[in-house]
Amino acid sequence: MLILLWLKGLLSRRPGRLLGAIAGVALTVALLAAIGVFIVASGATMTQRAIASVPVDWQIQLAPGTDAKAVTDALGQSAAYSALQTVCYADSDGFTAKTKGTVQTTGAGKVLGIGPNYRKDFAPELRPLIGSLDGVLVAQQTAANLQVAPGDTITIQRPGLPAAEVKVDGVIDLPFADSLFQAIGTPAGMAPQAPPDNVLILPLQQWHSLFDPQAQGHPDSVHLQLHVRLIHNLPPTPIKAYTQVEQQARNLEARIAGSGIVGDNLGAKLDGTRKDSLYSQVLFLFLGLPGVILSVLLTLAVTAAGSDRRRQEQSLLRTRGATIGQILQLAGVESAVVGTGGAVLGLGLAVIAMGLLTPGTLLLTVNSVVWMAIAAVVGVGLAVAAILYPAWKTARSSTVVSAKAIIGNSRKPLWRQIWLDGFLLTLAFVVFWRTASTGYQVVLAPEGVPQASVSYDSFIAPVCLWLGTALLTLRLGDVALGRGRSTLTQLLRVPLGSLAGVVIASLSRQRRVVTSSIALVAIAVSFAVSTAVFNTTYNAQARVDAELTNGADVQVVVPPNSTGIPLTMQTQLKGLANVAALQPMQHRFAYVGRDLQDIYGIDPVNLPTVTHIADAYFANHDAQSSLAALASRADGILVSAETVRDFQLKSGDLLNLRLQNAQDGQYHIVPFHFVGVVKEFPTAPTDSFLLANADYIAKQTGNSATETVLIRTKNRDRASLLAQIKPIVSPLAGVKVTDIDAAQRTISSGLTAVDLRGLTRIELSFAILLLVGATGLMLALGMAERRRTFAILDALGAKPRQLGSFLWTEGLLVLLAGGTVGVLLGFGVAAMLVKVLTGVFDPPPDVLAIPWLYLLMAAIASVLSTVIAILGTQSLSSKASLEALRDT
Amino acid sequence: MTKLSPNLLIEAQNLRRTYHQGGSLFTALDSASFQVWAGDRIALIGRSGSGKSTLLNLMGGLDTPTDGTIAWVGLGPRETLRPAKVAFVFQMPSLLAPLTVIENVEMPLLLGDTPIEIARTAAMEALERLQLTALAQKLPEELSGGQIQRIAVARTLAYHPKLILADEPTGQLDHPTATLLLDTLFNTLKDTDTALVIATHDPLVADRMHKRWTIQHGILQTDSSHNGLQTVNATPQPKLSITRPMPKNSAPF
Ligand SMILES: Nc1ncnc2c1ncn2[C@@H]1O[C@H](COP(=O)(O)OP(=O)(O)O)[C@@H](O)[C@H]1O
Ligand SMILES: [Mg+2]
Repeated sequence: MLILLWLKGLLSRRPGRLLGAIAGVALTVALLAAIGVFIVASGATMTQRAIASVPVDWQIQLAPGTDAKAVTDALGQSAAYSALQTVCYADSDGFTAKTKGTVQTTGAGKVLGIGPNYRKDFAPELRPLIGSLDGVLVAQQTAANLQVAPGDTITIQRPGLPAAEVKVDGVIDLPFADSLFQAIGTPAGMAPQAPPDNVLILPLQQWHSLFDPQAQGHPDSVHLQLHVRLIHNLPPTPIKAYTQVEQQARNLEARIAGSGIVGDNLGAKLDGTRKDSLYSQVLFLFLGLPGVILSVLLTLAVTAAGSDRRRQEQSLLRTRGATIGQILQLAGVESAVVGTGGAVLGLGLAVIAMGLLTPGTLLLTVNSVVWMAIAAVVGVGLAVAAILYPAWKTARSSTVVSAKAIIGNSRKPLWRQIWLDGFLLTLAFVVFWRTASTGYQVVLAPEGVPQASVSYDSFIAPVCLWLGTALLTLRLGDVALGRGRSTLTQLLRVPLGSLAGVVIASLSRQRRVVTSSIALVAIAVSFAVSTAVFNTTYNAQARVDAELTNGADVQVVVPPNSTGIPLTMQTQLKGLANVAALQPMQHRFAYVGRDLQDIYGIDPVNLPTVTHIADAYFANHDAQSSLAALASRADGILVSAETVRDFQLKSGDLLNLRLQNAQDGQYHIVPFHFVGVVKEFPTAPTDSFLLANADYIAKQTGNSATETVLIRTKNRDRASLLAQIKPIVSPLAGVKVTDIDAAQRTISSGLTAVDLRGLTRIELSFAILLLVGATGLMLALGMAERRRTFAILDALGAKPRQLGSFLWTEGLLVLLAGGTVGVLLGFGVAAMLVKVLTGVFDPPPDVLAIPWLYLLMAAIASVLSTVIAILGTQSLSSKASLEALRDT
Repeated sequence: MTKLSPNLLIEAQNLRRTYHQGGSLFTALDSASFQVWAGDRIALIGRSGSGKSTLLNLMGGLDTPTDGTIAWVGLGPRETLRPAKVAFVFQMPSLLAPLTVIENVEMPLLLGDTPIEIARTAAMEALERLQLTALAQKLPEELSGGQIQRIAVARTLAYHPKLILADEPTGQLDHPTATLLLDTLFNTLKDTDTALVIATHDPLVADRMHKRWTIQHGILQTDSSHNGLQTVNATPQPKLSITRPMPKNSAPF
């Protein structure tokens, strides 16, 4: 009964106090729940993406003479599968073709035999470019080398047998050549084999008739594989999914004991995803936890703001005969109400926020429910810590502690005596310097090893920076308001007149509270700033990553060594409404010694108009000078570091390559001069490639064709631009039009693939709420606690302007000092995060991206809430002064 | 003698102050008419809840009457009463917690835009008069209840106000401390024409005052057996009058 009365009284008399605490708990719970659900959801998305990106889950290579039927039976027992195809592999000494009166010959190649349903079951493996997808297919690069088109004839050299002839039906691209031709059974960690340059694919029957005889004489030159798609009944977290697939593969290998080895593509993919998933967890935690800590601090601060009144209430209750037990019971009920109310509200808030800001992420899986439960428990715990614990502490020390807690020059806290702030900051910089200089890996997930780990010690630097700066703020604030008192008074003499002294004196004596407010604002601001800066940088980098893959906003490509994209068509594309800029690019092949590499012919001056050329693409970390070097030398060439090593190149060295000439279709020597090292380039593959001037390549090969066109768009509506482009370029054989959004969706390696948007959007909005809480709310609460002071001032005859001097000085001091420290700290933490999480970025960002609009919004929110709090207090304190003087 | 100069400070007629209390109107003060003269020593006697504070607040311009007129004839417009001419001593400790004693005492002067040096001198003087200089640099939290009230008195004296309104200043003090406080107050006001109104229910306080007003359930009875000086100027023209109705729904909280 007493409890109900108490609650009713609380609700009617101090609704602010109850609601404030509930709001704080709710924010904490919501943030924590959101982080948890995002971690779960991103793990699940990553697993799904990994599964979807693997065209053939398992390639089981059969030992010569093995009975495929037995292996198939074993497979059924080890794992459930939905598709199974036999693929035959045979080595060939080379292919020859006679076209336009010349004879082209390739080096060694591979001939595959596939069944009629292979295309249906494993569609992504074969991408049609020209002609039919049935019958004899030739890989695009092979077709280019042999200069063959559908209808032409290719001669296959067979070891120990006479050459055989086949007629080409279609030209294809093999997007997954790496895994298709992988050397199965090589130990993990060995350098991956480059896929063969020359590939022919025959119908199974035709293959058997050509290569069964070859298997007799040269059994090593022929082998069979079973290509398997599993039924993906996998756990949602990449780590567990990896373990399960891995175990199934081992199980199968044990069953078929020696008659086959499993090439576990799915396992390998999930293996790589584990790392990204751990990275994403680290990211989510690191971006989100400061917010959670901040909202915890804020909740504690909000409840602490009413602590004097609570103490008074408690002593009143006790003078009226309530026992300590009863008092604690009341506090317990209050914290239960705040805890459960906050938890329910917080979970609701999380669900709504996620639904509004990032539709489709809320997964009702066991894992996310567990996270939500954890969040709710934390919320209740927070309520207990904020309400019950202080009540218990007060009850225990029977002497009523008065306002002494706020005022007075109490002893220096221990951390100040031992210079903990200095220590933490030093530690932060030392650890950071070490991390940054050694290229430290945050996430360790060695390939093929089931254990993956996150070295959380790399987060020591940002955490220490955070804590150290917060403590340093307390110290500096204390010193400024203590020893710097007279200086401050002098400074404020002009705006405040003769009141300056007492205004500063009063701030100075309450500097414990004032400096904690400054520190709280600093933390809130730094949270908003660091989250926003990191997020913007991350998004910019994700875009760079996607641009690296797609070349630019929109990319139009035709196969290398085709007739290219005609100039008239390019002009037509340029005329489209949404095209801001367009640049042609050549994509050919060149022999570097015996090694065939992609070569890109560009216009180094104008290419940057369509795509961002990042410093990180070049070994010298300077995009501008690298492109300038190329532009200043017509026969200049940028090559990969590997090529530099292989050929011992020095700047200006001559490098003779062989490129295909348009006249005779043969590869002829073209001299280049080495001008720099390129690591990555838009549209280029991740392994070795070459970058040269398009004009020079055109002149030397007699072929000015453009194989790639890069387009920068004016607005984001790339889908409709794509729809306009497609009919224009459709006459071109094998043409492909893609946009950056699609690339962004499909990049599945590198952490920038993790969709941070959902979480950051929630965090950025919460950050504003927390900012408003740390500035305006805290100020208003603190001032409400001191409304007696303002009432006395009013009774003494203070004019509103004079009352304002006290309020504005405090409010602006907290806002300006906290804001300044917070902005600096925010950028510092963001910079450290970017550095610590270098592995996330591929390539790492050149500079931090600054979210001006958000920062402006955050600044406006904090200033507004401060101003509103001050004006509100000002008008309330003059109105309610009589009451304030009457009570207590 | 200036002390007896017949200056009318406040003239009030039919003052009424009502509060909304849980839906109904409550009359805390009902048609009070009175005059306060320079040099007056008035004891305002009444039980707790009788309306003493309400009356003092109206006299000091802290509050506005629901009905009736009040004019600060010898003091000037209401806006100019505090900090210069009217000073309060409250029942509750009313020092500003974060300021030292000296800062508290000089506060009214500073609020009156007195230059800081002059304010400091005047505050020190006031402390000296009350023999409180030893406490000048202390914070209120270091003081006893009696000391706090004496500082509050010192604060009223620093500005040499024309009217001091003390609302049960000894209410929280034990007897000897209360006597000390009153002694200080009377001694320092002895040779001034500052008027003093003390709300109290303590007969000891009342005995030391020239005039004795009683208030019961909001009804004020002013003492008619005063020394006669006041009756001479029976009808001064009010220079300023305030008839400001209270807002309809002034919340009780
Ligand atoms: N702000 C207010 N709201 C409602 N009632 C009030 C308010 N102030 C005073 N009262 C009531 O008016 C009456 C007189 O109060 P007050 O003048 O404080 O008496 P005193 O000072 O003699 O103890 C009391 O009954 C009190 O409850
Ligand atoms: Mg009273």
